[in-house]
Amino acid sequence: MSVRIQFEDVVQRYLLIRERPDSLREAFTKMFRHAGSTELEALRGVSFQIGDGEVVGIIGRNGSGKSTLLKIIAGVIKPTRGRLEINGTVAALIELGAGFHPDLTGRENIVLNGLLLGMSRKQILTRENDIIAFSGLEDFIDSPIKQYSSGMYMRLAFALAVEVDPEILLIDEILAVGDAEFQEKCDIRMREFRQRGKTIVFVSHSLEAVRRICTRLLLVDHGKILADGPPDEVLASYENLIHQPAQKEPAIAPA
Amino acid sequence: MIALVGAVHRNRELIWALALKELKVRYKRSFLGFLWALLNPLLMMVILTVVFSNVIRMSIPKYAVFLISALLPWTFFAQTLSYSVESVVGNGDLLKKVRVEKTVFPLAALVSNVINFSFSLLPLLFILLVLRFPLHWTWVYLPIMMLPLIMFTLGCGFFFAAMNVFFRDVAHILQILLSAWFYLCPIVYSLDFLPPRYLLLFQLNPMLYILNGFRFSIYYGKLPSVGSILISFGIGLITLILGHAYFRSRQDSFIFYV
Repeated sequence: MSVRIQFEDVVQRYLLIRERPDSLREAFTKMFRHAGSTELEALRGVSFQIGDGEVVGIIGRNGSGKSTLLKIIAGVIKPTRGRLEINGTVAALIELGAGFHPDLTGRENIVLNGLLLGMSRKQILTRENDIIAFSGLEDFIDSPIKQYSSGMYMRLAFALAVEVDPEILLIDEILAVGDAEFQEKCDIRMREFRQRGKTIVFVSHSLEAVRRICTRLLLVDHGKILADGPPDEVLASYENLIHQPAQKEPAIAPA
Repeated sequence: MIALVGAVHRNRELIWALALKELKVRYKRSFLGFLWALLNPLLMMVILTVVFSNVIRMSIPKYAVFLISALLPWTFFAQTLSYSVESVVGNGDLLKKVRVEKTVFPLAALVSNVINFSFSLLPLLFILLVLRFPLHWTWVYLPIMMLPLIMFTLGCGFFFAAMNVFFRDVAHILQILLSAWFYLCPIVYSLDFLPPRYLLLFQLNPMLYILNGFRFSIYYGKLPSVGSILISFGIGLITLILGHAYFRSRQDSFIFYV
């Protein structure tokens, strides 16, 4: 098994939005007041490895750092500190059809988003029919997607992402949309994916979905990994975490 | 510079698709659609011609051609900048979700406006025909004149797009800057009209040399001096290198501010 994703002591800090100057006026006033900005430490030293053929679920409470983790793997943000290694192409379904433009048709969006996800035009055109077939949107593919329902939107986005055929597929809480039939299609596709030795990283609040799909879970809390292992074990510690009284650990540290 | 060429090459299909999207969205749902790319400069020129040849009475023969020869490249510059300055912020949602080289956004704004510009040469030809103005052989040099214009525009585009991520005021400042700059350039007038003591000041304007190239080949049917051509290329190249360097140095923090 070769390593696909490796995190070594990764730290991610954000500047909190209310303290950062959004306009020149704010920048000037801040210059004179010497106001200190506050930082949020979303990840505080996270280390793990994910290999071929693993389906890893990331679970945790709101604001625990799950999505930050996913965004770092996707290459959308660069961590503040730490070592990071990603081997292979990544396709991220961080939000439904991030690059979809409402005025373009389904077909036009497939091309534009395929390019955004790193495919070449030729690759997209050869897979276009498969994408449309998988999404089941043959009748709507030449209409602007602002007329789509959210379910249709999601199906198109998912169909596109799996057809990119990346080595690493990132999914952020989207399988909750779509009807039972489409969900099953997705499950089958993801299993197939795994059997071909590809890696899936999956963030979800749906414990049922996580248990069904994942081979391993990471439990994240306050920017640290609390548990890492087979789904049943980690789910048990998650239950404990939720039911124990919340610790008052400040997530915000003054810089 | 090498980094920029590499980025363009790697993302050429994406840049092209984004540029086409931009045009499609711009002209969608308008009755005349793409005709606006032709009508816009034509109408603008009619207005300015009426004002400056009839109201203010500039004594320049075939004023319409004189005007449009510099107005077209200026419009290209101003319009591309207006698009570029918002290009990163406007695609903020995308940046947060997909890993994509950020340089593609100002580049796509440039490409879509180059397409627009090429179409706006048609109304220029139309006017030459109507006014029976000779089509000078120097037109063949237009593609060469385009190079410094494109480099200068792109360099400014990179700079303003990056600045605007951190200070949204930049987009507003740019609009004011552009309208002041318009009158500082010899577009509606000729440099000969200026009192000689201001001449030196106007010569500091980098757009002067670039616009001159266009006016010389379209209106005067002459080539600008070698010195003027070299200056335009130098200005274009330096602006592009600086603008791109600034953009690159800041692009990793865009995500936290869009």
